[in-house]
Amino acid sequence: MMAKIVGVVIILAVLFLVILPSAFFIVDETKQAVVLRFGEIKQVVTKAGLHVKAPFIDKVVKLEKRFQMYDVKPDVIYTADKKNVVVDTFAVWRISDPKVFIESLKNLAVAKTRIDDVVYSHVRDIFAKHQFDEIVSEKREALLQEVTKRSKRDLQDFGVEILSVRVKRTDLPDETLNAVFNRMKSERYQKAAAIRAEGSREAQKITSDADRQVRIIEAEAQKKAEELKGEGEAIAYEIYASAYSQDPEFFSFWRSLQAYRKAIPGDYIILDERSEFLKYLLNPTQ
Amino acid sequence: MERNKMIRTIVIVAIIVAIAGYFASGVYQIEPSEVGLVKRFGRYVRMAGPGIHYHLPYPFESVTKTDVLTLRKIEIGFRTVSTAPLTFREEQEESLMLTGDGNIASVEAVVRYRVKDPAKFAFKVLDDYTLVKFFTESVIREKVAGRTIDDVLTKERDVIANEAAQKIQELLDELDAGISIQGVYLQDVSPPEQVADAFYDVINALQDKEKLINEAQKYANDVIPKAEGEAQKILNEAEAYRQEQILQAQGETARFLQVYEKYKKAPEVTRRRLYLEALEEILGSQKDVLLLSQSGQLSILNLTDIERLVGGGEK
Repeated sequence: MMAKIVGVVIILAVLFLVILPSAFFIVDETKQAVVLRFGEIKQVVTKAGLHVKAPFIDKVVKLEKRFQMYDVKPDVIYTADKKNVVVDTFAVWRISDPKVFIESLKNLAVAKTRIDDVVYSHVRDIFAKHQFDEIVSEKREALLQEVTKRSKRDLQDFGVEILSVRVKRTDLPDETLNAVFNRMKSERYQKAAAIRAEGSREAQKITSDADRQVRIIEAEAQKKAEELKGEGEAIAYEIYASAYSQDPEFFSFWRSLQAYRKAIPGDYIILDERSEFLKYLLNPTQ
Repeated sequence: MERNKMIRTIVIVAIIVAIAGYFASGVYQIEPSEVGLVKRFGRYVRMAGPGIHYHLPYPFESVTKTDVLTLRKIEIGFRTVSTAPLTFREEQEESLMLTGDGNIASVEAVVRYRVKDPAKFAFKVLDDYTLVKFFTESVIREKVAGRTIDDVLTKERDVIANEAAQKIQELLDELDAGISIQGVYLQDVSPPEQVADAFYDVINALQDKEKLINEAQKYANDVIPKAEGEAQKILNEAEAYRQEQILQAQGETARFLQVYEKYKKAPEVTRRRLYLEALEEILGSQKDVLLLSQSGQLSILNLTDIERLVGGGEK
C-alpha cells in the first residue's frame, strides 16, 4: 500500500519535472519566439504567455521584441559640393517578423551587419547628392526621412523593421575643423576691432561735439559781453557828450586839472618852463 | 511503531513547510516611487502600486518593477565627474556642433525624462538611456544646425531647448515608448575652447566701446556746464562793466555840471580857484619840484616862490 503510493508520487514528480518543462514554454512580454524542429520552423509566437510544443524534439529560439538602437559607425561622406563631413548615424529598429529574421539572418550579429550595410549605404547615397549646407541645416530632417523610408523597404525582407534613422552627429574632419576654428578666430578678432573702432568713433563724436558746444558757448558769451560793454560805453559817451558840450572850453580846463592830479605822482617833479603844463603855473594871468 | 510515527510526522511537517515556503515566495514589495507589473506565464496581467503584494509563485507569475517617479537624467556634451565638489568634464566629441553659418559651437545639455506608461516602457524599449540620449543629441544638433552661432550663443538658447524637447517627445511618441520628456536644459553653450579667446575679445571690445563712450560722455558732462558757467561769468562781468561805465559817466557829469553851474555864475573866480586847488594838490604831494629852464638848467623851485607868485596874483 505505502510502496504503491510512493511509486505514484515518484512517477508524477518525474512527469512534472521533466515532461512539463519540455512541453510548455513561457514567452515574456519583451520577447518573441520561434519553435524549431530539426532546424525547420514549426511555430512563430509573438504573443506573451504560456505556449505548448512537442517535448524534447522542439527547440525554442527567443528573440527580442523591444526597440533596439543600432549605432552606425561614423564615417566621412563627400557632399555634392565636394566637402567632407563626418556623419554619425543611428537606427531604431526591431525584429518585426521572427520567422523571416531567423531564416534570412540567423542571429543578431548577422542582423547588425546587414542593418549597418543597408542604412549606411542609403545615408551615403542620399547625403552625397546634397550640398553641405543642406546636410547641416534643418533640411536634414527630410533627407533622413528618405533614408528611413529606403532602409525600411530594404530591410523588410529580412524581418527587420527600421523605425527611424537619425544623424547623431555631423562633424568636420580634423583638418577642416582647424580651418574653421582659424576662420572663426579671425572673424571674431575683426569684429572686436570693428567694435573698438566704433567705440572710439562714438567717443570722438561726443567729445568733439562737447568741444564745439564749449567754444560756441564761450564765443557767444564773448560776443554778448562785447555788445554789453559797447552799449555801456556808448551810453556813457552820450552822457559825457551831452554834459560837456555845454562848455567844451571849461570842460577841457576842468578835465585837464583832473588829469594833472592823477598823472603826476612821486617824490619830485621836473618841469620844463615852456611846457604846456606850466602855462598856468608860471603865467597864471594869461 | 513509535519511531515510524515520528518519521511520518517529521515528513508531513517538512512537506507543509516546503509548500508554505513555496507559496510565500509570491510575496513582494513595491517602493513608493515604483509600480509592479505582474506577468502570468510571461504575459502582462495587472499593475500593482506601492506596498506589500502577492503573486502566484514561480513559474505561474512574476513581477517586473519599474521606477516611474524618479526623473532620469542624461548629460550631453559633458559628464559629471563628482558631485562633491561638483566637477564636470567636457566631452568635445558630443558637445561640438556645426551651426547654420558654418561655425562650431560647444553645447552642453541635460535631458530629463520619466516613465509615462510603465507597461510600454518596460516591454517596448530595450535601452531607454541610449534611445533618449541618441534622440536628444540628434535633435539638438539639428536645431543648432538651423541657426547662426550668435543666435545659438545668445537669444535662441531657450527656443532651441523648447523646440528640442517637443521634437524628442514627438519622436518617442511615434515609437509609443511610454516615455515623457520633462525638459531639455541647455547648460554651458559657448564657443569651443579652441576659439574662446577670440570670442571673449569681442565681449571685451564691447565693454571697451562702452567705456570709451562713457568717458566721452563724462568729458562732455564736465566741460559743457563749466563753459556755461564761464559764459555766465563773462556776461556778468560785461554787464557790470556796462553799468559801471554808465554810472561813472553819470557821476562824473553830475559833478561836472554842478561845478559848471557855479562856474557859469563866476567864471574867472571859479576857474582860478579850481586851478589853484589842483596845483596845491599836485605840488603838495611832491617833496621837490625841479624846474628845467630854457637854458637847460635845473633849479629847485622854492615853494615860497610859488606862494609869492600865487599871492602876487588874486589873493
